[in-house]
Amino acid sequence: MVYTLENLKNDLHGAWAITRKDLTIYYLKPNIYMSGILFPLFMLLAFAVGRNAPIITLIPGLIAITALFSASSIEPVSIPIERRTKTFDRLLSAPISIFALVLGESISGLLFSYSICILMLVAGAILYHLSLVSILILLVGIALSCFTFANLGTVFAAYPTENVGEVMSLLNLVRLPLIFISGVFIPLEAMPSWGRAVSAISPLTYASDILRYGFEGVTHVGLVTDIVMLLLFVIIFQLIGNLLYKKFNE
Amino acid sequence: MNAIEVTTLTKHFGSLVAVNNVTFTVPKGEIFGYLGPNGAGKTTTIRILTGITAPTSGTATIFGHDIQREKLTARSSMGIVPETSNIYDDLSAWKNLMFSAELYHVRKSERESRATELLKTFEIYDRKDDKVHGFSKGMKRRLTIAMGLVNSPPLLFLDEPTSGLDVQSNLIIRQVIRDLNEQGVTVFLTTHNIEEANLMCHRVAIINRGIIAAIDSPERLKKTIQSVQAVELALEAMSADIIEALAHIPHVNDIRREGDKLRLYTEDPGSVVEAAMAYLREKHIRPISVNTLGPSLEEVFVRLTGLDKGRKNEKTVT
Ligand SMILES: Nc1ncnc2c1ncn2[C@@H]1O[C@H](COP(=O)(O)OP(=O)(O)OP(=O)(O)O)[C@@H](O)[C@H]1O
Ligand SMILES: [Mg+2]
Repeated sequence: MVYTLENLKNDLHGAWAITRKDLTIYYLKPNIYMSGILFPLFMLLAFAVGRNAPIITLIPGLIAITALFSASSIEPVSIPIERRTKTFDRLLSAPISIFALVLGESISGLLFSYSICILMLVAGAILYHLSLVSILILLVGIALSCFTFANLGTVFAAYPTENVGEVMSLLNLVRLPLIFISGVFIPLEAMPSWGRAVSAISPLTYASDILRYGFEGVTHVGLVTDIVMLLLFVIIFQLIGNLLYKKFNE
Repeated sequence: MNAIEVTTLTKHFGSLVAVNNVTFTVPKGEIFGYLGPNGAGKTTTIRILTGITAPTSGTATIFGHDIQREKLTARSSMGIVPETSNIYDDLSAWKNLMFSAELYHVRKSERESRATELLKTFEIYDRKDDKVHGFSKGMKRRLTIAMGLVNSPPLLFLDEPTSGLDVQSNLIIRQVIRDLNEQGVTVFLTTHNIEEANLMCHRVAIINRGIIAAIDSPERLKKTIQSVQAVELALEAMSADIIEALAHIPHVNDIRREGDKLRLYTEDPGSVVEAAMAYLREKHIRPISVNTLGPSLEEVFVRLTGLDKGRKNEKTVT
């Protein structure tokens, strides 16, 4: 069957309905705040105390890992819960494609985490005296980062379980190591060459790099590379997500 | 064109065959019942017909659209009411309906009037702004059905619509199904409630262990086992001796105690009544009531599904 413009319109509508539903229901769930915000915050504070680094230099990294943890936390919580209550079947049996489902779920992660990161950005902007250009880069960079990580969360939530903990521990198996190989805590230039090679396949590398550029005007990999790589990760995660949701629902 | 056409549909789960080579058609405007015990494959069939599960082999079309190849087109003409009332506990009844309407692409101008109408039909309008969390089981079920009807579908799938509900909810739901059908809506419902199938359905498929044992109207299904007729006696006094004696009346194939009554199964109710009355008169036992019974759909069901294995030789009851 050909995918028509009408199909696309319906899918976008469906995706948007799913996003709004997710935001209404899940933005008040405590475990999303726990693993999405408090957890990265405490990690960073623990790190900062040990290093005696000035708080201000931590803001780009803090926003980057908050984007990672908050954007990727909604779907791994909401989808297993909806599998248990069978409301997920409602989404799977509606006249919308899997693409609409994956997109809608990811956009809710994006919006949730974007609003949190913007609050942090405001705080950062006051401390940093940012220029208009860098604010623009930051707004785009945060949006791209949040969407990438939201898609990551959606991909992990495809794991067919009704147990939130199972998805979360799988996800943390990936999220936690990412922090140490992506130049957030340990600067890229201080890493051995194998470490830098690994960091090239971490979306968090590009997220934290574009934020550092926005705040401090320094970049290790280049602004264009950051944007291209983040977009590439979005596309890859979307494709994997579509494949997995199809596969696990046959 | 038929509403549903199913051809040699099979679904394996590992080594288990949940649906085995099933073929049937449901013409437009029919209430089609899918009757079977637990684990028969009813839900699996619905999940295939609604495109949630892919069949291992075979095909199904909805108004001519293949459910696998033209999933979205096929789905836009159906309403689905699954086995579990799957509504969002954290949303109000109204928001649940609005969400469902959006998923089914109901136009904005129609959403609200449709939702209002459905909430009134299902008698939950005055609770429309309450979170569903506090709803009773019957109210949740009614809301689930309302959500399945939000796109005014010409075909409605209902997986055990009334299972475990109180009388009020049952009556509302059955009346809605009948009204919808009168307006031309085709209904596919599963149930393990034989009385429901008998009351509601134009035709019934009896399924067991994934295999369809028979498809026909309830009346014709009953006729296929005309031999199962019974004489029902309610007696002033009942004892093992009396039961034993009645069981030995010629032409009595089986005797069962049903509550305070005895059922004597026979192909010849006339002669059994005569012999039973003669015996009772001789023993000075007064019968409270005597009835002859035709076969019930339940008996057809029990016969066809083989659920009576092990009861076959049971001539007496204790
Ligand atoms: N996802 C699944 N994985 C493995 N086995 C399954 C799955 N879904 C159903 N089955 C099995 O397939 C068979 C048919 O199940 P199904 O749910 O279709 O029965 P049913 O007729 O709806 O029963 P009930 O009256 O209990 O709802 C059962 O043996 C069930 O255990
Ligand atoms: Mg079932």
